[in-house]
Amino acid sequence: MIKTEIINGPITPFPSDDNHRDDGAEVVFNGRVRDTENGKQIIALEYEHYEKMTEKEIQALAEEAAKKFPIRDLSCRHRIGKVPVGEASLHVSIWAEHRQEAIQGLDWFIRELKKRVPVWKWAVYPDGTKEASSHESC
Amino acid sequence: MSDTITIRVKCFSHVKQALKKDELALSIPKGSSTDVVINAVLDMAGGKLNAIKMRVAVNHSYEPEPIMLKEGDEVALIPPVQGG
Repeated sequence: MIKTEIINGPITPFPSDDNHRDDGAEVVFNGRVRDTENGKQIIALEYEHYEKMTEKEIQALAEEAAKKFPIRDLSCRHRIGKVPVGEASLHVSIWAEHRQEAIQGLDWFIRELKKRVPVWKWAVYPDGTKEASSHESC
Repeated sequence: MSDTITIRVKCFSHVKQALKKDELALSIPKGSSTDVVINAVLDMAGGKLNAIKMRVAVNHSYEPEPIMLKEGDEVALIPPVQGG
């Protein structure tokens, strides 16, 4: 099963699941906001997206991952809007028969997401100002 | 019959920051391609976007090659994305 969601608010991770009796690997990734961006202190990242494309692109990418790797299920939640330092901006869970394909599938999915899904970061500084994040920090 | 068409341009990230707009309407000659839109936006930005490699989406789909535009198209300039 493929499930992708764009969420404007805190991300609740998908629950761990003991019912995948054919899957020996459940790999979970939470991407979190660091307290610096481009070498400067920040209080949050604000994620902007192209709403009319984001869900379509992320769903297509997840389906492509499931074809490219022998993974059973892939669930992804990407947060948009302001995400305070420390909170999760991306949550991905993948189930597969073996760990190698689960880990490789996760790595490929996140790398492609960072190339293809139209989401951008704005650094929010302690004085409340914000600027588009440098592309070197992607 | 008009020799121009009007399209909508969606701006994100550095494009939005440079133009101080998240959307604009642009009149361009009929028969223009997406390259005309990119060049127009680069001109408007006064050099601030010259170092940024941008992709283009037309009506919500990436277009890797220049395509001819028609009245009412929505063109998005896509700076390098930063999800995750």
